[in-house]
Amino acid sequence: MALRLLKHAFIEDYAEPRWFNTPPELKKTYDIVIIGAGGHGLACAHYLARDHGLHNIAVLDASYIGGGNTGRNTTIIRSNYLTPEGIKFYADSMTLFTELSDDLETNIFYSERGHFTLAHNESTLRTSRWRAEMNKFYAVDSEVVDPDEILRTCPQLRIDCGGNHPIEGALFHPPGAVARHDAVAWGYAKQASKRGVEIHQHTPVTDILVENGQVTGVVTPRGTISTRKVMCAVAGHTPEVMAMAGLPSPIEIFPLQACVTEPMKPWLDTIIVSGSLHLYVSQSSRGELVMGAALDPMELHSRRSTFEFVTGLCDQVLDLFPFLGGVKVNRQWAGMADMTPDLAPIMGTTPIEGFYLDAGWGTYGFKATPIAGLTMANTVAEGIDDSRIRAFSLGRFDDFNLVGEKGAAAVGH
Amino acid sequence: MKTINCPLLGWRPVSEFTAAGVLEPEPADLGEMSAAQWVFERNNVPMRRTEWWYHGATQLWFKVLRDTATDTIIDVTTARD
Repeated sequence: MALRLLKHAFIEDYAEPRWFNTPPELKKTYDIVIIGAGGHGLACAHYLARDHGLHNIAVLDASYIGGGNTGRNTTIIRSNYLTPEGIKFYADSMTLFTELSDDLETNIFYSERGHFTLAHNESTLRTSRWRAEMNKFYAVDSEVVDPDEILRTCPQLRIDCGGNHPIEGALFHPPGAVARHDAVAWGYAKQASKRGVEIHQHTPVTDILVENGQVTGVVTPRGTISTRKVMCAVAGHTPEVMAMAGLPSPIEIFPLQACVTEPMKPWLDTIIVSGSLHLYVSQSSRGELVMGAALDPMELHSRRSTFEFVTGLCDQVLDLFPFLGGVKVNRQWAGMADMTPDLAPIMGTTPIEGFYLDAGWGTYGFKATPIAGLTMANTVAEGIDDSRIRAFSLGRFDDFNLVGEKGAAAVGH
Repeated sequence: MKTINCPLLGWRPVSEFTAAGVLEPEPADLGEMSAAQWVFERNNVPMRRTEWWYHGATQLWFKVLRDTATDTIIDVTTARD
């Protein structure tokens, strides 16, 4: 590092190499246009270029890369779901995540912490046992542990939880992890860009052109692009983009808020989640406690934060960790979660030829970033749904064939 | 604190209320629409819309006209109106 600094002192042009290079002008035509330069959209672009040899791809974003829910989540990665579809899908995602730093030549700070879902009553404990058995059946490391075992890993936890709702056990998921979310988006952007994918930031899509049930292009303020394939990965803006293509959507948008405290010495090396208290907390590599809660109680297309959220969340956190009373909250923010009726995503082909959806990720999209990108890339390249995402098709709502993923959200919605 | 100007109760904190979803009268006849479309389809872009809101303490229901882009409450009427 010191030598590099010295070298830079003697040369004029010392800029770091750019992570992605995009020409200033949009082309008139692309093979594939991806709307949304978040983790999912960029991952899809990366796998399309790497695995399918498709390079004439544009990723468009209304804002900057990773600025939506990719940069707003609390970065928890786990696969202890309840339905067979969910468990297998997220287990594949975790496998990809563990290799992602090497794959992307980018340190994503993947850190296995162990994930405790606390049970404060008999019925939650019963669901935990159900989840643990389903997980074990699909070879996912997951078990129910008693309060003593929780205390051995996290001695700071107050097990009587303020006396109101004592902890009776937990679902323990040892591979539960956290990762640096920006690095995931930037790593995918770097690798996709290396293979010729263009990433155009600050380029909103204002309309999607459809002729005879086939996508023919997208309209942006920088000009109209003609393309036969459009992939939509825009999280909280999904209903608006679907409306551009003339499709109704079953999605409802709710704000999901989170906050971080001031940095502290490392003391919490696991991820603690409580469905009953509506909270999840982990400590980041910077030492901040990253905390989140349940969805806001009303639909809203906005990223506003509320004081009620912080006070409500801190009230519950103090029941678990009373010694945090003097710690200050540094920042809070919100993202727009696209919730589906069955808490499972909507992925794959749609009734419009060439229009592909990667949506409905609600409160659980970050942990699925690699597998969503990979399966969507297969789907977009081949034009038919990857077998792993067939259960998540948009058509399931026409047939009342819902997925019913009760393990979807870390906290009850 | 965010408050709601209620026609019967005056200004009350929003935390006393529960949002209960969009007011959508059930059609007498589904017509061209399938049952699945009625159940699942949403026209869920940001808009002004009328919703049911419930006040827990008094067990009263209200119709609230709200902007889902800005979270501003424009009008509150009683369930009878």
